[in-house]
This record gives sequence, structure tokens and C-alpha cells, in this order.
Amino acid sequence: MADKKKRRRADSDSDSASQPFKNLLKSDAQILQILKSVTSSSSSSTSKPLTLADLALSSTCREVSDLSLSSVQSTIESLVLQLTHQILSGQGFSFTVPSRSSSNQLYVPELDRIVLKDKSTVRPFSHISSVRKTTITAKILSLVHQLCLKNIHVTKRDLFYTDVKLFQDQVQSDAVLDDVSCILGCTRSSLNVIAAEKGVVVGRLIFSDNGDMIDCTKMGMGGKAIPPNIDRVGDMQSDALFILLVEKDAAYIRLAEDRFYNRFPCIIVTAKGQPDVATRLFLKKMKTELKLPVLALVDSDPYGLKILSVYGCGSKNMSYDSANLTTPDIKWLGIRPSDLDKYKIPEQCRLPMTEQDIKTGKDLLEEDFVKKNPGWVEELNLMVKTKQKAEIQALSSFGFQYLSEVYLPLKLQQQDWL
Amino acid sequence: MESESPTETKKGKSKTPKKAKESILKQKSPAEFFAENKNIAGFDNPGKCLYTTVRELVENALDSAEAISELPVIEITIEEIVKSKFNSMIGLVDRERVDEELYDDYETAKAREKRLAKEARAQEIQAKNAALGKKVKEHAVSKSSKGRGEASFYRVTCRDNGRGMPHDDIPNMFGRVLSGTKYGLKQTRGKFGLGAKMALIWSKMSTGLPIEISSSMRGQNYLSFCRLDIDIHRNIPHIHLHEKRDNKDKWHGAEIQVVIEGNWTTYRSKILHYMRQMAVITPYAQFLFKFVSDAPDKNVTIKFARRTDVMPPVPVETKHHPSSVDILLIKRLIAETSKQNLMQFLQHEFVNIGKPLAERLIGEMGPDFSPKMAVKSLTDQQIVRIHQLFRQAKFDDPSGDCLSPAGEYNLRLGIIKELHPDMVATYSGSAQVFEGHPFIVEAGVSVGGKDVKQGLNIFRFANRIPLLFEQGGDVVTRTALKRISWNNYKINQTQDKIGVFVSIVSTKIPFKGTGKEYIGDDISEIASAVKSAIQQCCIQLKSKIVKKMQAREQQERKRNLSKYIPDATNAVYDVLKEMAKSHASKKKRYEEGDADILRKVSDHLITKETLYEKLTQHVEKVDYEMALEYATQTGVREEPREDIYLQSLDGKDNFFDFHSPIFVFRLFL
Repeated sequence: MADKKKRRRADSDSDSASQPFKNLLKSDAQILQILKSVTSSSSSSTSKPLTLADLALSSTCREVSDLSLSSVQSTIESLVLQLTHQILSGQGFSFTVPSRSSSNQLYVPELDRIVLKDKSTVRPFSHISSVRKTTITAKILSLVHQLCLKNIHVTKRDLFYTDVKLFQDQVQSDAVLDDVSCILGCTRSSLNVIAAEKGVVVGRLIFSDNGDMIDCTKMGMGGKAIPPNIDRVGDMQSDALFILLVEKDAAYIRLAEDRFYNRFPCIIVTAKGQPDVATRLFLKKMKTELKLPVLALVDSDPYGLKILSVYGCGSKNMSYDSANLTTPDIKWLGIRPSDLDKYKIPEQCRLPMTEQDIKTGKDLLEEDFVKKNPGWVEELNLMVKTKQKAEIQALSSFGFQYLSEVYLPLKLQQQDWL
Repeated sequence: MESESPTETKKGKSKTPKKAKESILKQKSPAEFFAENKNIAGFDNPGKCLYTTVRELVENALDSAEAISELPVIEITIEEIVKSKFNSMIGLVDRERVDEELYDDYETAKAREKRLAKEARAQEIQAKNAALGKKVKEHAVSKSSKGRGEASFYRVTCRDNGRGMPHDDIPNMFGRVLSGTKYGLKQTRGKFGLGAKMALIWSKMSTGLPIEISSSMRGQNYLSFCRLDIDIHRNIPHIHLHEKRDNKDKWHGAEIQVVIEGNWTTYRSKILHYMRQMAVITPYAQFLFKFVSDAPDKNVTIKFARRTDVMPPVPVETKHHPSSVDILLIKRLIAETSKQNLMQFLQHEFVNIGKPLAERLIGEMGPDFSPKMAVKSLTDQQIVRIHQLFRQAKFDDPSGDCLSPAGEYNLRLGIIKELHPDMVATYSGSAQVFEGHPFIVEAGVSVGGKDVKQGLNIFRFANRIPLLFEQGGDVVTRTALKRISWNNYKINQTQDKIGVFVSIVSTKIPFKGTGKEYIGDDISEIASAVKSAIQQCCIQLKSKIVKKMQAREQQERKRNLSKYIPDATNAVYDVLKEMAKSHASKKKRYEEGDADILRKVSDHLITKETLYEKLTQHVEKVDYEMALEYATQTGVREEPREDIYLQSLDGKDNFFDFHSPIFVFRLFL
């Protein structure tokens, strides 16, 4: 009730002349009706996702799976025993590490995600170029082994601080951690190493985190931080009609404060830029358990689309685990290059694209996950042609609440997503 | 040295103004023109004038010595003359100021008050800073604006061991602008016969003092001495004294002394750079540079010693290439030729036109041309036709034989001598052509060295003289900065001390702008030749650098590998220990081989030290194998040796020889 009052006040305050297209808006009830029909059709059409085995690719592609702590432990142990045999026989030792370079990546259109091919590189101790990485790999293995024994979680930062002198830089220990996941054939979460919390969620969602029930409508303005260990999340319930994925914190705060999710029942998620593993896992879990359409609100620039693609098809760095990390069928709601003119976003709010932006845009046009969606290709072509970009905040030129009051409702009403 | 017999006037260039009675049309002598536009010749301001004077005298001296294939020995002295001394030189009495307010730098009472207040404030701040223990900056002495009366004067003396000048030619060589010996088509340092005369014009403008020349030629038993200045309006020498003196030491060469206004403070570094770079490009010369003033701490004496006695050949005069001539030049050649008919004229006055080609050319010119026609009878139209054909027809490129590049050997020596780099590579390109003029690009690239700053240090030479100004627009600078990807050659453009030396020689250097300061970046032939020459040097360096890196890797491999042994063994052993524990408590079952290892770990038969030793043995084995492989790959290869030049001693035959079966050791007493 309180929010209704609030909204009405906002309505009377705002001048319809300064908020174009407001007169096009139908009543909330009508929009809700449209959304409901969409949601019911999408949830009924979901089928069991394909796997590598279905496509007979399991021999040429590599994928990891969730392993239990004890099996991670025994995999490490047998690996260490192998190493010991090698050392004792006087041959030094080496690891065989699946290559995560971009040449070893493959986009599978049927799966709509990037997977890792089967190329591996040998990492011998007795070579000057690999001695360092080999040592770090051994060290990380032994650290993960300890975690298994004690059954605790640590962050990547903790791991780095166990031997700053050896690791030198967290980037190095993080990279080797991913290598170790590949070597052992398990997901990074199975290693009991987590990243610091980054993503937040707010809206019509109730779930249990480590046994505590969380109601995301009652988490205040900031919302609930997405828990880093997804295995302790469960019991998801929701009456939302869709999930709204937001690229940026600023837009998220606007929507959360306006309690957008109460006007149109939804769940709002953001990872504040490039998504971390926890947010991606969480989104995947919501999508599979709640069967809701996912709509993305990102900047109208190449990086916005890139972030969208990471949610959708996975990142090259973690393609070995793309099955668990990617959420298929994310719709591009806005802000799309065509919206700039459609919503008459004033010139002063648009930014010229830099050389680097244009190059990134053109590179994206070559990517398979963009090509598979003709609508995206069209939008991206338009962006590269006009050489203009705009952030979500450009909408604030019509008033701070234009995003939640007019733009999003209108988009939803028109089902304007790709 | 520039010489010309006084009777001959050169190509009407030095016309004496006719006395026009009623016409307001005025004529200027060349000397007047250059006096008014002295910036054209590099005499922009007193500082630059001092620099250009030094430069012109040094270059003339080098040309003179090289002309008689004598290893140049050049002494250049700049002597500062304070105002009172200068006044006494010209016989002027030093006068005290009487009417203070008359002068530009007179300080009014108000201005004085202001200045004192400011100084007091500055002192206060300084005292405060000092009290706080801050680093006290040298307080800049407030410079009193230097009026024109405060000008500094310098006596510039240059002495060489060159050809010298014929006694009777001396007045014209210095007292007549645009007369000279270097007008032919030939690679020369100077070109227009301006240098020494401009110095004289400047001295006349700024001090009014004449130039003094002593000279003697080889085998001449007297010494010519001449004191003269120039009559600017008539462009003729004005001789004060011209006499023959005794030449006791059989000296040959020239000594020129001129007193000019200058500015040593601002152009000190430029002049020293110039001398240093000159020493790089002419390592066969010996330079002694001196700056003398009343303040002994300001004095400078630098000796650039000779490093080689190999001199580049004297450049020879060549004939014009048909594609480089214009109509005026064809007319001049026709007027000067001794050949009678067109056929002979084409064959003998141009390069790369043989008899068959001359016949074909004449046939192509049209029906009103014939091989036997008298060349002096050609009409203006016919000459235009010849010119057109020369422009369009294909000729062989002129050869670079007439050029005298510094030579890779000299360039290399110069670089090593002046920069002491860690590594140096040189390359000499083949002759190429731009608008009918052959040119040769030589380049040297050095890495490391003393007194070399990080990043690119670019040294440019044109016809073996250093170019110091207008660096930004120059073809060499732009090529080195923008078109060479140093990274490809394992050279770090910002971190390494890189020296880039490019020397271009040509019968005509296409300088940009008025002064001979830089070569434009718009000539693609030169730009690409410069680029490829630098690249060739870089390729040579790359292999050296890679070898060095490999060698370093060889030396440090064992240490770098061993460094990681403790970390690696600890990591493996930690896991083993835990496993051994659970094995002992029968929590887990292992296969026989594995169980055996774990038992040994429990019984301390396999310890951290065991692993450490095994890994160390392995590293040693690998290191040995790789070292062996490296040695067989590289072989016992030696760097090419360079000849070293030992300066001969002027000592008499006063020595002992110590003989040994393999060498003789000679000890001079």
C-alpha cells in the first residue's frame, strides 16, 4: 500500500511533457496481463538442456563437473602419488594442464555456449619458462588438499595470502586455481575456494542460504548479497513474472528504491559490471528452478553486450565449466542502439565511441554467439555505424525515475526484447 | 677552401649596382641581401651566429684538409671578450654613465621599492624553508634585463692543416659573397660559398672588426697574412693588410680569426653537441676545442682524438643526370660545353647517355633535330623539347661512385668512440636516386653506453655534417619514432639507451626550410631508404641481443630452477604426509606401489630431504644436458674482430726492442 501511495505522488509530480511516450503507457493491469501470457508460454516450452554427450562431443571437448569433497581429495592424492613416483625415479615432475587459450575454445551453437576443446600442455618443472607455474600449481594443489581435509571454504584472497612471496600477484594464483579445476576435472566451487561477494539480488524471491530463509523483498534497499557458495542455496520460491538482469549498480539502486518489483513482480539481479562466478551460478539456478524469462538491461555499448554474452554463453577463461555457469536464452531488453533514436535520447547524453570501442564492436560482430541472433547483429551494426554509445543513465535526462516509471514499463508492454 | 681568381667574375652573380639616375629602382648586392636576411644562412640571433660561425669554419677546415688527403687536425678556440677589453680593442674609451635615466635598464624609485620588497619576501620564504629543513632551491638571481649594450663578444679562431689558399685569392675568397669553389655537381659540405663570408658580414655588423687570415700552401716558403673586411654595398673585399710573412715551421693550412657578438651561455650545449657529433662522423680527424674566458671555472677544453687513419675517398665531381636538369641548366651547359654537335654534347655532358641512347634520343626529339647539328644553334623551343624528353625518357639511375659516404667502418668507430655502447650495428645501403641525384644512406644503431639518455637518441648527418636543429620534422626522427617497431628487435624504446645514427650523402641533399637544418619527411625514396637501413641494423642487433639473453639464461638456469625446489617439495610432501597419516590409521586403502611409498613416508624413509635431493639431481642433469646442447648449437664462434688503431707517436727512433719468438715489444724512451 505504501508503495502505491508513493507512486501516485510521483505520477502527479512528474510532468508528462518532460517524459516522452508516457501517454503510450497502458494501465499496469494490462501490462501485467501481457507479461503473464509471456511467462506461461516460456515456462511451458522449456525442455531438458542438451549436453556435450548428446552432441557426441564429449571426446573432443572437455567439461568439468561438481565433485564431492572426498573425490576431489582422492583425485589430488592420486595425482600427488604420481608426482612422487616421478620425482623418486629422478625424472623431475610435470603436470598436464588443459589449455585455456582462446585457440582451444569452441562455441557450440546447439548448446549456445563456449566449451573447451581437448588440447593440453605439459608443464614440466625442469624448464625455465614453466618452473614457476609448476611450483605454484603444486602449492595450490596442496592448499586445496588441506581445505578438503578440514572441510572449510576460503576465498581466493585467502589462498593468495598463504604464500605471497611465491604467488607475487593474486592474478597468478587465481589463474592457477582455474588450471587446477581443469586438471582435476571439477568445478571451482568443488575446490571450496570462493570469490568475495559481488552480486546482489532484490525482489520477489525467497530462498534458503545455509539454512536461513531469506525474503528478498525485505532486504532493504541494497538487497541480499548473492552467497558465494551456491551449494548452500536452496528452496527457491517466487511469484515473479521475470528476472531483470541489470549491468550496473546505479540502475539497480534506482529500481530497488522505487520498488519496481512490487509494481511488476520480478527479481532484480546485478553483478556490478563483469559477472562473477557466484552471480552466474545463482542466475542459472534461478532460471532452472523458477523457469522465468531473463531480461537484460545493459549499456548501449560493446561492453554491455559482452557482459550479456558472459551470462549467456560463458567467458573464455572459464569455458571448462560453461555448463554450470551459463544461463541460456537471455533477452536483450535495453538499452539497445535503436532505442537511442526511438526514445529520442538527447545528443548531449550520447557519447562518441572511441577507436577501441569500435574495434571491440567489430570483433563482437565476428563472434558466433552474436551471429546466431540476427536481431543482435542488426543492433550492433547500427551501433558501429552511428559510432554512438549511451549508458543506462542517459535516460535520467528525462528525470531520474524515467527508467522505472516509463522506459521499462513501456518496453515490457511492447514486449520489446531480442 | 673557396678560391677564385680575382679577375673572373662568377656568372654575373655579383653584379655591381648600376647608377640609375632618375629611376627609383634600386639594386642590391648579394652581400647586402644576405646582411639583411642573415637568418637564411643560420645567423638568426647572437647565440646562433656564434654556433654557425664555428660550424662554417670547422666544415671549411675539414673540406680543406680532405681535399689534399691529409688527416685533419683542427683547433677551434672561442675566446670571450668582456666589454672593456672589447672597447680597448677598438680604441673606444670606457665611459661611465652620467645620465642614468637615459638607459633602458634604469630603475625608477618605484620599481626599486617593488623589487626590494619582492626580494625581502623571497628571502623570508627561503629562511622559513631552511628552518623547516626543506631542500633549499638555488634562488634564481633576478636577471637584470640585458640591454643591447651588454652584448658579449667572442674571438673565434680556427686553425687547420689543410690545403691553404693561394696568396692572391685570399681577399676574394672572404670578401665576396656567392663566390666559391663548390658550385660543381659534387658531394660537398658547403654549397653556396656563404659560410665564412657570412661570419665576416656578421662581425662587421656586430663589432665592426675585420677578419684575419693566415695561410700557407704545401711547399710554400712564405705565409700569407691578410686582414680584410667586406664592402657590403659593392660586394667586394676591403683589404686592410695583405702581406707575405716567414713560414718557419713549414706549416700548411689556414688560420682564420674573427671577432663577433655571440651568446655562449645559451648555445654552449649546441656547440659542444656539434663538436661531439662531428667527431662521431669524422673519426679520422682530430679536434681540439677550447673555450677561454676570464672566469677559469667556465673554461672548456675538449680534445676529440683521432681513432683511425682511414679516410673516405675525396668525392669526385660528376656530370648531371638527364632527369635532374632544368631548362636553365641545359642552356648553361650548352654555353659552357666544348663539344660541337648535339650528339657529342649529349654523350659527354650527361651521365648514363651512351652513343646508342643518344642516337635514339635525337631520333625521338623530332625531324628538326639531327646528331650533327651544332649544339650552340639550338633554339629556345628546341631546348624545351630536349628538356621534356629528358623528363619522360627512361635512363639508368646514376651510380653512387661520385659519392663519398662516411663508410660503415668510420661510422662504427665514431659511435664506439663517442658513446661507448654495449652493442652497435651499422649498415650501408646501396646508392639510390631521388630526382636524378644519387644518395646513399648509412645507419648505425647502438644500445647502451655512457652519457646516453634512456630512449631514442637520434644523430643526423647530411653530407657528413651533423644536423642539430629542427629535429621534429626530420625524416630520420620521424622514421625512428614512428615506423620502426623496436619491440620486434627485443629493444625497449623507452627503457634502453638507444643511439640512432643516420648519415645521408648526396650530390644534392633536399633540405627543407631556409637553413641546412633538416631533411623533410615527404620524400618517399629517402624515407624508405632510411627505414630499411635502420631495420638492417636492428636485425643485426636482434641476433646479438637474443644471444646475450640466451647466454644469460644459460648462466642463470640452474639458479632459477633450484630456487623453486623447496616450494615444490614442500607442497608435494605436505600432501604425502597427510596421506601417510590416513594410511596409517587405515582410513583409506591404496594400491600396492602407492601404499609402499606412504609406508616409507610414515617411517621417515622418504622425507622432504629425499624429494629435495632427487629434484636437485634432476635439475643438475637437465642443466648439464641443456648446456651441452647450447654449446653444440652455438659452437665455438667468435665475434668478428675489429682492427684497433694505435696512435703513432711522434717520438724519435729512441727505443728498445724486446724480442721473443712470437712477438716484439718496443719500448719508447
